[in-house]
Amino acid sequence: MMKVAHTICPSCSVGCGVNLIIKDNEAVGTYPYKRHPLNEGKTCRKGRECFKIVMENRLKEPLLRGNGLKQSSWDAALDAVVSQIKLHPAPEVGIIISGKCTNEEYETLKKFSKNLGVENIGCHTGSVPSVDLGTATLDDVENSEFILIIGDVIKETPLLGRWIILAKENGAEIFAIDKPDETLTGVNSHQYQQVESISSIIDEIDSTVLEKLSSQSTVIISNLENGDNFEKLLTFFNQYDTKIIPVFQDCNSRGAMNILPILSDDDLSDLLEKIKVLYVVGDDPASIMIESMKNLDFIISQGCMVNETTSISDVVLPGSCWAEKTGSLTNTTGETQEISKILEPPGNALDDQNIITKIAEKMGLEL
Amino acid sequence: MESQFLLAKAKDDELAVRGECGGAVSALFKYLLDQDLVDGVLTLTRGEDIYDGIPTLVEDSEDIISTCGSLHCAPTMFGDLISKHLSDMRLAVSVKPCDAMAIKELEKRHQINENLIYKVGLNCGGSLMPITAQKMIEVFYDVDPSEVVKEEIDKGKFIIELADGTHKSIEIDELEEKGFGRRINCQRCELKIPRNADLASGNWGAEPGWTFIEVITEKGKKLLDGAKKGGYIEVKTPSEKAIIIRGKIENAMIKLAQKYQEKYLEENYPNIENWDEYWNHCIKCYACRDACSLCYCKECDLEKEFYNDEDGVVPDPLTFQGVRMSHVYFSCINCGQCEDVCPMEIPLAVIFHRMQKKYRDKTGFIPGVSEELPPLFSPEKE
Ligand SMILES: Cc1cc2nc3c(=O)[nH]c(=O)nc-3n(C[C@H](O)[C@H](O)[C@H](O)COP(=O)(O)OP(=O)(O)OC[C@H]3O[C@@H](n4cnc5c(N)ncnc54)[C@H](O)[C@@H]3O)c2cc1C
Ligand code: SF4
Ligand code: SF4
Ligand code: SF4
Repeated sequence: MMKVAHTICPSCSVGCGVNLIIKDNEAVGTYPYKRHPLNEGKTCRKGRECFKIVMENRLKEPLLRGNGLKQSSWDAALDAVVSQIKLHPAPEVGIIISGKCTNEEYETLKKFSKNLGVENIGCHTGSVPSVDLGTATLDDVENSEFILIIGDVIKETPLLGRWIILAKENGAEIFAIDKPDETLTGVNSHQYQQVESISSIIDEIDSTVLEKLSSQSTVIISNLENGDNFEKLLTFFNQYDTKIIPVFQDCNSRGAMNILPILSDDDLSDLLEKIKVLYVVGDDPASIMIESMKNLDFIISQGCMVNETTSISDVVLPGSCWAEKTGSLTNTTGETQEISKILEPPGNALDDQNIITKIAEKMGLEL
Repeated sequence: MESQFLLAKAKDDELAVRGECGGAVSALFKYLLDQDLVDGVLTLTRGEDIYDGIPTLVEDSEDIISTCGSLHCAPTMFGDLISKHLSDMRLAVSVKPCDAMAIKELEKRHQINENLIYKVGLNCGGSLMPITAQKMIEVFYDVDPSEVVKEEIDKGKFIIELADGTHKSIEIDELEEKGFGRRINCQRCELKIPRNADLASGNWGAEPGWTFIEVITEKGKKLLDGAKKGGYIEVKTPSEKAIIIRGKIENAMIKLAQKYQEKYLEENYPNIENWDEYWNHCIKCYACRDACSLCYCKECDLEKEFYNDEDGVVPDPLTFQGVRMSHVYFSCINCGQCEDVCPMEIPLAVIFHRMQKKYRDKTGFIPGVSEELPPLFSPEKE
């Protein structure tokens, strides 16, 4: 049995279409999805290799901490979750979710937290703050007369970079700014300006560049190491009559922003200080701030992969990867695309929305 | 064997109606599955719309009906789907000439076992990229592309049919002049009738409701005879005139392709500065290699050579493309897949096709058609 099925690449925020090749309920490769308007069957290496995510370090059974993490039944694992949440007042409970989940999962989790009275909830996006602005479309990029790029967009998000190449072929002038001596985006631009630091861009940027910002221009902002810079740059360029595209990190960071509060690294560490029970969905906070997690009484980890957080959790709930669920993702330019379930999750893993619903049921909450 | 011409159509009414030209190809597939002569049939099904061709493995003959019809806006490639994922199956596959060429090269390299597959060829005047086709229909036909229910290329025109039965057509030359129409490599493609398959079927020279089939191999002949005896297809002999017309169209198409070769491989061939600019785009993503049926090595030299190469921002084209070129150019079948998938819009197929053509002129080796391996092929890559 072999089938080829459409999906969206989960590896960055651009949202390319890819076809997965499925053989005997296993993802064995990808195949160009030429009908997809965004990338026409073209992908970067991450896109072509996204089928590997389906198999990578998968969680297949619920785990419960006794003497170490041990395989358990769903009932036992969920009972442990429910009793711990019930044991603590709502302000001591925190919920975080990654930018890699579906919009439907964000909605479900939002309802769950609301009915539970939990206010410490958010999506952890690392460096990117919540953005509430209309962004340029990819067609806008292609039709721009002038494009200003901050970060190595062509290297880091090549299928967004492709639209810059197309614009250049259409006669657009390209100007890039970044820290290294040379970048791939810089090499492909008409002009490249090297800056000391991203925070100094506003002071250092060539004034003739700013004069070129108009309704026919696009500013693409990517690859920033801290959220303050991102926010400053957005505010700065918003003064001009130019279109803007912020490049987010995860395949649904943008969707998460529309539904849940956004947590920067600092916000996340503040949140962790306030709470005793943490429920993590699809994320790995331990990989960046394990110290801040030391004072937690109980950690519940739900997701598809083994990671640093699952290894220090008290309960681990095996969820589904993107190819195993139906829902939608919103890409960095704000376009929402549907994905459909192509595969069954492995072992006893379940659909994430289903898991949240089961917890709610056991808690006696309506969703 | 000597080739033989005939007209065929499906006996099953539904296949005859849903098929592109009488559904003979679909009927052959149904016969092969029903008689357990194959384990599966690899073809295309129409996904969301006529621009969405999805490779499909059919194992139940009842499902053949959903694969009927030609999709001209679906430039797929079956070669490495078979070699990588279906090599152990007895298979029948619908092949455009480029699919048949890729399969032939893979057979010679022992990546596909030719005894396991039936290659039912489709003549091919060219295919279009789905998104280009949609833009073209919007701009030149002034039609919402989602309202098109069928498209075909006939008598030099690209013809669309709308749900209410109306047709609109425009000369393909005119569309291609403006950068639309068939993929550029297809414009240069000279193999219009896949005589490297077991059968070659098409509408050239056929009467409405019939497919014109050229029998190429003994295997193809046996298949047709069996399907006829089994009551799956009806056949008749085409008129002398039909055979001549078909030959004339084929020749005209080949001449046109040669004209386009001259245009794209010589007159408009990018100059050194153009190439410098193109190579600057390269992100070393290996998409071109992965899409090329001829790049089948399990351990690719490119990965070795670039394993430690962190200095250059842009890969050195002479090493990166040079290595791939030196490995495959002599066998390039001009399928255009490398170019289709390059995220950086580098017109890769022109380089490979141009070099192959020079090599062909010197050695007479025609990739995908010649029975032997190219004279330059190094068995160390096996
Ligand atoms: C891109 C394309 C261009 C063509 N151009 C010509 C031409 O110029 N001159 C000519 O004489 N004939 C051409 N044909 C062949 C012709 O359209 C018919 O396919 C052929 O006559 C068989 O008709 P049928 O009714 O027997 O096919 P059907 O019974 O309808 O079966 C057709 C089979 O082809 C498969 N198929 C459809 N699209 C593709 C594709 N893109 N790649 C691989 N398999 C596919 C289908 O899934 C199905 O199995 C072309 C076909 C294609 C796909
Ligand atoms: S390369 Fe040749 S055979 Fe392949 S789709 Fe194009 S015209 Fe048809
Ligand atoms: S080099 Fe390109 S055109 Fe030539 S066979 Fe490979 S993918 Fe096809
Ligand atoms: S597909 Fe294009 S960008 Fe990728 S390695 Fe090949 S030439 Fe470079």
